[in-house]
Amino acid sequence: MNTHAIELTTRDGEQLRFECAADQNLLEAAADAHIVLPAQCGQGSCGTCYADVTHGDFTLGKHNPAALPVDDEAKGGTLLCCTFPQSDLRISLPFDHDRILIGEIKVRNAEITAVDSVGENTLRLELRLAPDEDDGSVAEFEPGQFMELEVPGQDIKRAYSLANTGNWEGRLEFLIRLQPGGLFSTWLREQAAVGQTLIVHGPKGAFGLHESGLRPRWFVAGGTGLAPMMSMLRRMAEFQEPHPARLYFGANRAEDLFCQTELEALQAELPQLQVIYCVWKPEDNWQGFSGTPVDALAQDLAGAVVLPDIYLCGPPALIDAAEAAARAKGVPDQQVLSERFLPTV
Amino acid sequence: MFCYQCEQTDRSNADSGCATAKGMCGKDATTSDLQDLLIHGVKGIAQYAKRARALNAPDNAAGEFMLYAMFTTLTNVNFNATRFVTLIQEAAQVRDRVKASYTQAALASGKTPEQLTGPAAWQPAADMDGMLKQAADVGINAGLDQVGADIIGLRSLVLYGLKGVCAYAHHAYVLGGESDTVYAGIEDALDFLSNGPTDAEALLNQSMALGTLNLEVMALLDEANTGTFGAQQPTQVRITPIKGKAILVSGHDLGDLAALLEQTKDTGINIYTHGEMLPAHAYPKLKAYPHLVGNYGGAWQDQQKEFAEFPGAILMTSNCIIEPQAQYRQRIFTAGPVGWPGVRHISDKNFASLIQAANALSGFKEDVSEKVVTVGFGRDAVLGVADKVIDAVKSGAIKHFFLVGGCDGAAPGRNYYTEFAEQAPQDTVVMTLGCAKYRFNQHDFGDIGGIPRLLDLGQCNDSYSAIKIATALASAFECGVNELPLSLVVSWFEQKAAAVLLTLLALGIRNIRLGPTLPAFLTPNLVQVLVDKYGLLPITTAQADIEASLTRKAA
Repeated sequence: MNTHAIELTTRDGEQLRFECAADQNLLEAAADAHIVLPAQCGQGSCGTCYADVTHGDFTLGKHNPAALPVDDEAKGGTLLCCTFPQSDLRISLPFDHDRILIGEIKVRNAEITAVDSVGENTLRLELRLAPDEDDGSVAEFEPGQFMELEVPGQDIKRAYSLANTGNWEGRLEFLIRLQPGGLFSTWLREQAAVGQTLIVHGPKGAFGLHESGLRPRWFVAGGTGLAPMMSMLRRMAEFQEPHPARLYFGANRAEDLFCQTELEALQAELPQLQVIYCVWKPEDNWQGFSGTPVDALAQDLAGAVVLPDIYLCGPPALIDAAEAAARAKGVPDQQVLSERFLPTV
Repeated sequence: MFCYQCEQTDRSNADSGCATAKGMCGKDATTSDLQDLLIHGVKGIAQYAKRARALNAPDNAAGEFMLYAMFTTLTNVNFNATRFVTLIQEAAQVRDRVKASYTQAALASGKTPEQLTGPAAWQPAADMDGMLKQAADVGINAGLDQVGADIIGLRSLVLYGLKGVCAYAHHAYVLGGESDTVYAGIEDALDFLSNGPTDAEALLNQSMALGTLNLEVMALLDEANTGTFGAQQPTQVRITPIKGKAILVSGHDLGDLAALLEQTKDTGINIYTHGEMLPAHAYPKLKAYPHLVGNYGGAWQDQQKEFAEFPGAILMTSNCIIEPQAQYRQRIFTAGPVGWPGVRHISDKNFASLIQAANALSGFKEDVSEKVVTVGFGRDAVLGVADKVIDAVKSGAIKHFFLVGGCDGAAPGRNYYTEFAEQAPQDTVVMTLGCAKYRFNQHDFGDIGGIPRLLDLGQCNDSYSAIKIATALASAFECGVNELPLSLVVSWFEQKAAAVLLTLLALGIRNIRLGPTLPAFLTPNLVQVLVDKYGLLPITTAQADIEASLTRKAA
């Protein structure tokens, strides 16, 4: 089998090279060369491993169209997990070098320390990593990253964004939307209890804060898309970063919003943070913004003096709409960073 | 971006220099451009500060800001674009303050305040994009078409030398060493640069003035180090780990190390030095801490591998950071002028979070069999046995001294320094300083009548010791330094080394061998001037250079 030379260039200009056979996908070939690229599902359904092919031919395997918007596909965009090279390839990665792990993804045990309902269909799950011979009790990850949680002995594995920041106690915090009929959701609803052990894979993922001077940072979250935003905002508070910051947090109904207490605490530590609660179908007495977070974003962008960096997380429809709104207002593509939550059943 | 301040600058094109989206050091174009603009802002401060000082209204707090700001722009110090936006805004505020006090002092003495132009009149743009547009006009290459590469090269020599001077002065400052003369000299040099100088002679004179100023700075730093921690003593340092929780301290800031040693007393955490922190083990007040257990790893360019393998927390002080890898990004902390986006920074010497990290990490699981190196031959230790050394020279037991030192780096050509030190004949003594020593400090050099053949003088910050030793020997032999059986073989990487080189040249020391390559900012014409005027020698091969050194006639 012929192999092809693959050259990756990260957003910050670093280059990595590996060989890939024509019948192997790029993600696996990179991992074989100990280059672990941000990815999640490995089967073309989540969109985490998006990249742009700038030179060369390839075939794109079966994938979820929602994970690869047609506009992106038209300009060479692809999903590395289902890309098979037909020639040497040059690929531009939409994240910095520091998100690439040289080595192997860590797999560790973690104990459930809390599982609380924070809304009608939303759970807050807290884990504590079991002390490990090599890594002690540290929880090391970048804000915006996710972990894959696996129930031991059962074929149940799902990825969730972390809501807290790296710490020295081994704490991992997740906000989880319970999907009707979802395997992990069902397990969480019916069986999860404090003291049980899960297997965690990660951290993974390239979503996260991008350094661009003091440009304002606007975070747009739908539902549990709040988790990575909480992580990034908590990091900003921890580092006392001075950027102006806004969080647009949306839900269908006011009672579906959650983490208000945590957000208030965050505002106390990060006084420049404005939180805009957005409710699509509000009751008459609703005091916040009526409409989707994308409506609120579009309205505020119209009056913005400096075009902000925009961070998006939530279902694909929200991200597509927010990207369209940002583009319409002239926000350059590189200032819009997103993480798509696609349900896996 | 355009930057050619360090040795590893891109030389793949006819015009050397890093000019793409990212420099060889990992600095991105945004950060590089913002650094240029910060230097522009600092020049504006100096224009007023120099004039205020002349009217007896000095502002040493502005001086301190200038030291710090300039230090952040050295190679491998600060890569955080956001930090530079803030520093640029601060520079304008400091300039306005100094301008106000200058104006007041002028009026008070019955003079009309000068209306200054250039950097003194600059106002920072409101946001980063605006700042980047401003930066386009103030980079080191500005005016190249009008003044030519030689003048740009000379301006670079002054600016980069000045960066080194500021870095050393900042090291002295954090240990309480300050001097009006030093601030005045730095203000003069920046003010000189703010006028866009085009006279080659004047530029060369300014470089030498900086060399002289740097001697004073190095003396100040030597006094700050030895005054705070005692004079270096010859000391054996363990270079293999021992079982237990661990923190690794890199960079040059002995004050940060001292504060951390105090805060980790009796915690059971062992402290290791890395890179240029190695000489810390020789200072009485630092080695008094029993948990300063040893040295780990080598010179700065190996840090990505070494830090990834270190099972504890890491503190990077003052300078020499390269991109933290994912494996240790959450467990490395920066201090002082150092910065990397997304990496925790400790600005107040409160190392609680670093200690917490070290406690959470596994630490070394077992002892590794002991290996040691010997450090601590600062000027006191060497001059303390001066009689023995002088006798050995007179008896012919010591034929020659080599000073092989400076920065290390990744370039393959740096093997020259390993070969040079290891091939130096048995009747010669090799003195070393800086991190270049890691290329040969585990080699068994033996001794000459009890005098070790390898004498580790300390950090690059201890260059003053080398100069004191050389001048003391010269006075003992009643000759000039150039007549001594002494050859200097200097390995440079960044701007601190540029400052030291200017000092050596300003002292009239000739026949310095410089490598692994000559600075890219020195044009062929400028190299010729340095060769003709100062006897500067590019390195050739170790063997040829050793032979040439041993047979050369007095310069």
